[in-house]
Amino acid sequence: MTGKQRKLVRITACAALLGCVLPTAGAMHIMEGFLPPAMCVLWGVAALPFLLAGYFSLQRAVVRDRRSVTLIAMAGAFIFVISSLKIPSVTGSCSHMTGTGLGAILFGPSAVSILGVIVLLFQAILLAHGGLTTLGANTFSMAVAGPFVSFGIYKLCQKLRVNKMVSVFLAAALGDLLTYCVTSLQLAVAYPSVVGGVSGSAVEFLGVFAPTQLPLAILEGVLTVAVMIMLESYARPELCAVGFEEG
Amino acid sequence: MCRTSLSVLLTNGGVGSTISTISDGKGEGDMRHNGHGVRSVDHLAYCSGMNDWNPGFKVVLSLGTLAICLAADRAVVSLAVIAVLAWLQNVRGGVRLSAYIGLLRAPLVFLLLGGLAVACDISRVPAGDWSLPLPGFYLCTDWDRARFACGLVLKALGAVSAMYLLALTTTACELVSVLHRVRLPSLLTELMYLTYRFIFVLLDTYGRMYDAAAARLGWRDFRTSCRSFGGTAANLLVVALRRSRNYSNAMAARGYDGALHFLEEKKPLRRAQVAWTLVFWTALLAMRLAAG
Repeated sequence: MTGKQRKLVRITACAALLGCVLPTAGAMHIMEGFLPPAMCVLWGVAALPFLLAGYFSLQRAVVRDRRSVTLIAMAGAFIFVISSLKIPSVTGSCSHMTGTGLGAILFGPSAVSILGVIVLLFQAILLAHGGLTTLGANTFSMAVAGPFVSFGIYKLCQKLRVNKMVSVFLAAALGDLLTYCVTSLQLAVAYPSVVGGVSGSAVEFLGVFAPTQLPLAILEGVLTVAVMIMLESYARPELCAVGFEEG
Repeated sequence: MCRTSLSVLLTNGGVGSTISTISDGKGEGDMRHNGHGVRSVDHLAYCSGMNDWNPGFKVVLSLGTLAICLAADRAVVSLAVIAVLAWLQNVRGGVRLSAYIGLLRAPLVFLLLGGLAVACDISRVPAGDWSLPLPGFYLCTDWDRARFACGLVLKALGAVSAMYLLALTTTACELVSVLHRVRLPSLLTELMYLTYRFIFVLLDTYGRMYDAAAARLGWRDFRTSCRSFGGTAANLLVVALRRSRNYSNAMAARGYDGALHFLEEKKPLRRAQVAWTLVFWTALLAMRLAAG
């Protein structure tokens, strides 16, 4: 082989390897059995207050109007379906959105936290993404940290009078990035590196998942903006019905 | 399967498409087409040969095995769990081995990447048994870390097998009824039940939107794909809201007062199954003691 040919083989091998990784590692769920038991309990306890707040807010909504049960269940199903959809990606392989940013902007962060647990449970049972013992850790990163930060960024941008679509983009993309950072941190705390400790290990986990997660976060932002543009142009009454306020 | 008049009524709107989509032969192509593993796992759970086992027993069996696999933390035990559960799924559950391995591939990618990060260390100077020089730093590892990472990957794979035992043999509605029996608030179980049904309504609707967009070259290139994705996802929300209004009206018309009651098939607990489970668990514990 000439030098040029060897280079070509190497580049295509790298591309193929990336292609193998991208389709399945799309969503950053921590797999069943990967965390030590103490960590599982710890993250479960950390997520609990948010879940209780979400549960009570749901309970109030249902007492106010019995019929909102189907609306809430439909919102949960919507988040599940959005997070399981194949999204267009540049490499041609399929990846998945987290859907937490869109969910938080549409339905509010506390509702998304409790719906998130249900969605994560079904993802574990129906898709084998995540697991039962790691439900607490995944809930904390995807159903609590992600949505609350997304919503915070969205509100902050509104206060600062940033263009609406830019704020939607920032909320979705940064929420997704934060989910990925929190997951890496959870893994790092569970398995600190010998040399660098927790921070060294966090850098490793961030590095391992970065090639798939960084493009995905940007893509998630772009797609969330695309969805919001369509909703704003064609479905204003529906937006009001789910509690999305006009900015 | 649980069915009463109310669930049949919900079924009319297309919720029952779960069963129709997977049994009309078009299911397989559909799954690949839309990239949803949801239908395949649900399909396997409904068709499983272990479907007539008591659901509560299956929950105890898989959670118990999961706990033993995690607590034992020995490669031998993990390997035994992986092998025995794969055999059980194949022989009793009737899942083809190739399909089972295909389902394990997704978690495996995560586990291998995670295992790699656990096994390797980043350092400025070469350290450990092996060092891979990269621009600016060294990637190093030694025997102990590598062995620990392998054990971790095996342990997690055993745990995933135990979870699959539940996922591939127990339908979601049976699982929700087990959760209801252990006193989870009825608001939550009810929400889970409805969400589970609505997932398939929306997947079905999305599948049709996807095909409609594909017929109009909507997934031609990246830019068009983003536009089409935005359009279908937004439309999905609108359809979802309209459907949810229809369902709540239909349920209210039939006297829904905040409790969904379902008839359930009686699935008795068999002595042989309990005995088998106890033998399995004892063997695992014995292996743990032997491994030291």
